Amino acid sequence: MDMELEGYLRPPEYPMAPYPAKVVTLATGAKLVIRQANRDDVPILLEAIRPTLRVPRDYYDIVGVRLYAELLGWYRYRVRDEFCLLGQIDGLLVGIVNSRMFSPEVGISLHTLAIERGLRIGAHLFASKMEHHIEYLEQDEVLITAESPIGFRRWMIEYGLIKRDGQHELGGATPYALTRDLYFAAKHRLVAGERPVPPELLQVAEKEIIIATEDDILEKILGAKRKVLQ
Amino acid sequence: MIPFERHDDDSLVDMLAAAGLRAMDDAGLGDRPVDAVYVGNMASGLFNHQVSVASSLVDRLNLMPAAADRIENGPASGGSAIKNGLLAVASGYYDVVLVAGGEKMREVIGPRSTDIVACMTHPQAEYIYGVTLPAMAGMFARLYMDKYGITRDHLADVAIKNQNNGLLNPYAHIQMKITKEGILTHPQAHINNPVVADPLHLYDCCPVSDGAAAVLLTTPEIAKKLKNTPITIAGFGQATDTHTLQERDDPTDLKAVTIAAEKAFSMAGIKPADIDVAELHDAFTILEIAESEHVGFFKKGQGGEAVASGATQIGGKLPINPSGGLKARGHPVGATGTAQVVELVWQLRGEAGERQVKDAANGFSLNFGGFGNNVVAFVLRRDA
Amino acid sequence: MKTITGYKCTNCGQVMFPRHERCLNCNEREFKKVEPTKRGKLLTYTVVNELPWGIDERGRVLGVVEFENGLKAMGLIKSDKVKIGMKLTTGWDEVRYQNGVRVYGLTFED
Repeated sequence: MDMELEGYLRPPEYPMAPYPAKVVTLATGAKLVIRQANRDDVPILLEAIRPTLRVPRDYYDIVGVRLYAELLGWYRYRVRDEFCLLGQIDGLLVGIVNSRMFSPEVGISLHTLAIERGLRIGAHLFASKMEHHIEYLEQDEVLITAESPIGFRRWMIEYGLIKRDGQHELGGATPYALTRDLYFAAKHRLVAGERPVPPELLQVAEKEIIIATEDDILEKILGAKRKVLQ
Repeated sequence: MIPFERHDDDSLVDMLAAAGLRAMDDAGLGDRPVDAVYVGNMASGLFNHQVSVASSLVDRLNLMPAAADRIENGPASGGSAIKNGLLAVASGYYDVVLVAGGEKMREVIGPRSTDIVACMTHPQAEYIYGVTLPAMAGMFARLYMDKYGITRDHLADVAIKNQNNGLLNPYAHIQMKITKEGILTHPQAHINNPVVADPLHLYDCCPVSDGAAAVLLTTPEIAKKLKNTPITIAGFGQATDTHTLQERDDPTDLKAVTIAAEKAFSMAGIKPADIDVAELHDAFTILEIAESEHVGFFKKGQGGEAVASGATQIGGKLPINPSGGLKARGHPVGATGTAQVVELVWQLRGEAGERQVKDAANGFSLNFGGFGNNVVAFVLRRDA
Repeated sequence: MKTITGYKCTNCGQVMFPRHERCLNCNEREFKKVEPTKRGKLLTYTVVNELPWGIDERGRVLGVVEFENGLKAMGLIKSDKVKIGMKLTTGWDEVRYQNGVRVYGLTFED
């Protein structure tokens, strides 16, 4: 790689504080570890996202293809100031969220992909993204948009986001803002997690990002085909 | 019945037809004519923009020229459809009757489904305020819990029991084990289990489901000639109460439940204590507890303790909702009342697989329409 | 002020809302119109976070109030501290926006 050339092609980056890992106890009693992804994790994440590209149901295809592009862009240093958080249960990847710092003050929420459904994993990961923007990156507000009606209800209504003028960088959609005040008002109700993560759980999560097979991922997203007795 | 879940690829009539065929094949009906078809369905016009679905079902299954009617009783449509089918056979005018209950709710987005279900409430006195069925249940639950000392812990026991039972039921919508820590005791459990309509939380409420169930009803003579063990409907009962919650003399007194159950037991000639297995209407966890008391399984105020003690587990003294109930089996509103009876038939035949209640001979079901203002109950019996 | 119309049976005095063609107590069919009193008592309530299509605000408080003349009705409770048995003042305001129309109903305040 010609690093001198890369110097022209790579955009500059703001310094970003790291996201401290946390663990969330789910309704099933399972422990969801939420931690920040490294650039080197991207190839395996792309493997997990790829099956969603052909699932139009619940907007998985559009979320998946855009997330794929954003993570690949981050990996290849062509998207600046992006961060990615992972959700893992016993090492198995169950969800991915990503976001960008538009400026030191303003964040742009990009995508939320839940691979395991029915456990509010998307909700927990989205809340963690907001936690990072507001509490650790110390930004003033985050601009959010939703591609899916599920997302819209979860975020715009549950957090009481403020509609803004202008365009969100995701296709020019209407942006909705989460301000520091709104975040702290909603925090108790919506942001879960305990720190530090017990060392044995963190070790399992960091050792390997286990991804399910393509068939399993599709089954998780679409629901299992039932075998019934009669 | 067909599995209850989100059936994106099947229409309402697809599901009714699939369930109907299973019932007909279970009986080995073959080419024998069906005299009448009853379909229990609450809101196909609103959910699916289609009406007269009983007529559609007859066409799909080539049952012409059978008589066909759609029966609507809110979430008790499935039970009412069976009641009407039973009366048809008992009258002597019809010999073979197919009853199918079904609903396809996931065709519309969540808040629209909530609104459609809320159409059951009184248009001027309740609906305009944005009341939802969970809100009605919340107002009821607050009073019931205060009066009888039912706690959130008791409600959690119902949810956990039913979701565990659901894991044993291949037809159940929700296949997920939940823990008390995850939904109640962990300091952050409220984030997993937020308030839907205080004091009821997410895991106190049944899911929104698609699905259908069907039964074939006939005379004892004809039943002898058909395949498989026939199960007798030994008794039925139906009763109504005031439309609005505020006009009930005592809003914690589910009179329609008590009366419907009494009628069913009296007709069957048995008492609540004779029941071996029950399918109750736990659209909200509080309702399983309240109904178990009102029908006479436990004294008023003892229903919480009963579930906490394990008495209503599959292996307990009186198993309630071995299928997973509405909480885990799911609640496609028009299908539920019929699915409850299907489950009891399987239980009484010994065909309930891993969730089988040992030696079940007498079963009871309760289907709760409106918010308790139109209730249908059945007693089922396995004859020796 | 606009309000709901309750009904009092001219035969037995039973007070009812909403409308019934026949008295809930004695089946007679003649009624005198009655209105909610200015003050009422809260019988039960709930806080609704999952709302139906058309209503976007979370935390709407709905309750059933008993008026001094025995009439009972559901309404929108506009109060921060809600307790069963509390006394409330009857009002009338927009409660829902339905099919392009502003719908009015009972509201209650401290």
